[in-house]
Amino acid sequence: MKNDFKLSDLPKRNIYEVPDKYFDRLPAQIMERTAGAGYSPAPWYAAAWKPLRLALAPLMLVLVLGVLYLVNLNNKEEQQIANLASIHDKEIVDYLSTYAVLESADFADLSTVSEKEMTSEFLNVSPKAAEEELEYYQLDTIEY
Amino acid sequence: MEDKEILEKFANPDSRNLAFNQLVRKYQQKIYWHIRKMVIDHDDADDLTQEVFIKVWKNLENFRQDAQLYTWLYRIATNECLTFLSSKRKKFFLPINDVAAELTEKIDSSPNIDGDEIQLKLQKALLRLPDKQRLVFNMKYYDELKYEEMSEILGTSVGALKASYHHAVKKIEEFIKRD
Repeated sequence: MKNDFKLSDLPKRNIYEVPDKYFDRLPAQIMERTAGAGYSPAPWYAAAWKPLRLALAPLMLVLVLGVLYLVNLNNKEEQQIANLASIHDKEIVDYLSTYAVLESADFADLSTVSEKEMTSEFLNVSPKAAEEELEYYQLDTIEY
Repeated sequence: MEDKEILEKFANPDSRNLAFNQLVRKYQQKIYWHIRKMVIDHDDADDLTQEVFIKVWKNLENFRQDAQLYTWLYRIATNECLTFLSSKRKKFFLPINDVAAELTEKIDSSPNIDGDEIQLKLQKALLRLPDKQRLVFNMKYYDELKYEEMSEILGTSVGALKASYHHAVKKIEEFIKRD
């Protein structure tokens, strides 16, 4: 029989016993001990913990998205600077002369710049060269 | 009385004792038998059962109701059993097998044990298993808990529990065949 033993063939049985009326007496013994044991009242944060846990998940999501947005924004600025650096000066000048809108405030700013502050390189332009420069940009085609 | 009602009444200082008394009456047998199968001796099981309920009394107000009350009670009882067996080894510098031998001797000599030869052999075979595997076996075989409930109590994956139970059954069958 032993060689063919299968646990599933054995009837399930609890072989342990307790003294008479043990389970009738046990609650009273335990209650007697609790009288002197005191209990730990729930700390103030325990009541707040459940709603806080529920709010934690969306809060974390917002936080992660915020961090991702900021990282992305930072990368974007760096990318913009890198892109700008790769553009030839002439292309920038072309672009500005075509699309930039000058306001009277810009001219006002210019008048405040004294000649002393201008570099010699800037001032050392012959009238002819200045005229050619103006021709080059074809001011009459610029839309305001 | 439903667990929810017990907990509500326990939260009110005027009905705390009544609620706790109900809780003890409702769960004392499950907790006692869970412990008894692990420590074998009635006096040890009695002490540990009382300790479990004292801990429950002290901490019930902090119990988070996202777990079921009886799985929480089982967890406390399980921890008490494992701590008891572990301290027994440390106290007397006993290796695992000596504790098993001591508990086996209790099966033979205790007045509160009554079983035929094959049932006694089954209990002795169980004592050959590591404590945690014995716990898994008892919870599945005797208490008929679901693996998901056991997983919550023991903090182990369902897969690991299934494997542990399967191996426990094989070891027990081998032991009884050999003996």
